[in-house]
Amino acid sequence: MISTRFVLKRLLLLVPVLVGVASLVFSILHLSPGDPALTIAGERASEEFVRQVEESLGLNDPIWVQYGRFLADAAQFQFGESFIIQRNTPVREVLANKLPVTLELALYGQLIGISLGIPLGILSAVKQDSITDHLTRIGALAGISVPIFWSGPLLILLFAQMLGWLPTSGRISVLYNVEAIRVTGLVTVDTLLAGNWDMFVSAVRHMILPASVIGVYSMALISRMMRSSMLEVIRQDYMRTARAKGQGAKITVLKHGFRNAMIPVITVIGIQFGGLLGGAVLTETVFAIGGIGTLLVEAIKVGDYPIVQGTVLTFAFLFTLVNLGVDVTYSVLDPRIEQ
Amino acid sequence: MSAPPEPGDADADARPALERAAVRFRPVGTAALAGALVAAVWLAARLVVGDLSASVETTFALGSLAFGFGLLGWSGAVALGRGIESMQAHLDTGTGWTEADARRAMARILGFGLGVMLGATAVGSAVSAFVAAA
Repeated sequence: MISTRFVLKRLLLLVPVLVGVASLVFSILHLSPGDPALTIAGERASEEFVRQVEESLGLNDPIWVQYGRFLADAAQFQFGESFIIQRNTPVREVLANKLPVTLELALYGQLIGISLGIPLGILSAVKQDSITDHLTRIGALAGISVPIFWSGPLLILLFAQMLGWLPTSGRISVLYNVEAIRVTGLVTVDTLLAGNWDMFVSAVRHMILPASVIGVYSMALISRMMRSSMLEVIRQDYMRTARAKGQGAKITVLKHGFRNAMIPVITVIGIQFGGLLGGAVLTETVFAIGGIGTLLVEAIKVGDYPIVQGTVLTFAFLFTLVNLGVDVTYSVLDPRIEQ
Repeated sequence: MSAPPEPGDADADARPALERAAVRFRPVGTAALAGALVAAVWLAARLVVGDLSASVETTFALGSLAFGFGLLGWSGAVALGRGIESMQAHLDTGTGWTEADARRAMARILGFGLGVMLGATAVGSAVSAFVAAA
């Protein structure tokens, strides 16, 4: 049973993390070259108009006043409106549209990574130094070593161009209007909720390649971690005792070993998932999926400061939430951790 | 045998809460004082050269950079430190990095940044008040 005190303590840690990130964003934007007022007003705007914009944004105030106001706004998740990417659209709205795209990609990618990585890691540990172990380790090493910007186009070339099994890019076929059935923003879920089977199949087919690219990378890391963790666990006295008492090898590993070996693996899964939520920029770019990572890169390029601020703080918030989930899972797997 | 108590370790002794808090916050306070002093000296030097207002902005922004980095590092160490320690142990890549050391180091950085921010604010406000009075 998870104690409320433990969860509250972890939730409290959200505060310094978000204040820290907000301070970093504030300082980096203030130290970087470029004038937001000039960006909004346009290069050809008169000096008087630029001053007016500065005043309306509060850029004339002392920097400590601006800092305090920025922190207060960030606490309410108010970042104003985008002034370049989606002019005059509130940042919250822009993020609400883009976040589910990245969330969906990260979820499926991680699902593939976990469902392949954990069994392979266990198999590799149980059959240490066998052909299976060597093959799994080579596969894991290859998965970590091959960069996404190379494996992505190769998969497109093979499965989309040569075999023609899967689509090359996008989230769903252009024949369907997914906005009309939007509920959660996750295309596969929305199409399922709408009961439109053809749309659902199209969404799943579009998701397979990008999720696999992410999944293979995750799988490699998870299986490596699972192997080393399981190797350590199966050498423990309690495992030997269970076997000596006549318990089968499979049951011993799955019943006594698995839970204990999972603790460090959960850390890796949490950190990886948080990283993916922070924007699988390369995957999104290769497969032309307009997620939050691509949005951030675009916003930095064009100098859309409100979007940059909002996106970075959203990343930080999600990352911390994922780590809270990891901590809670820890305490379920091993209640001593709460102490 | 248990390890000897370290300064700032709240569980290590049974001293009064105020005293324990003082021990814990002393490194942060010292770093903040150093930061404020550095900011004041730097801004005084800039006052001689001129263009103080831009310097106050840059100094404050640099202070908030250090503060943000320290705060993020501190909370990261608190939240993930034990996990990272165990991950290092499992991967057999131990470097001697510990959660407690990281936490203390980050507390000093955030203290220094806070000091710089406060120093820049004080100097900036004082100069603004002086200019307004003149």
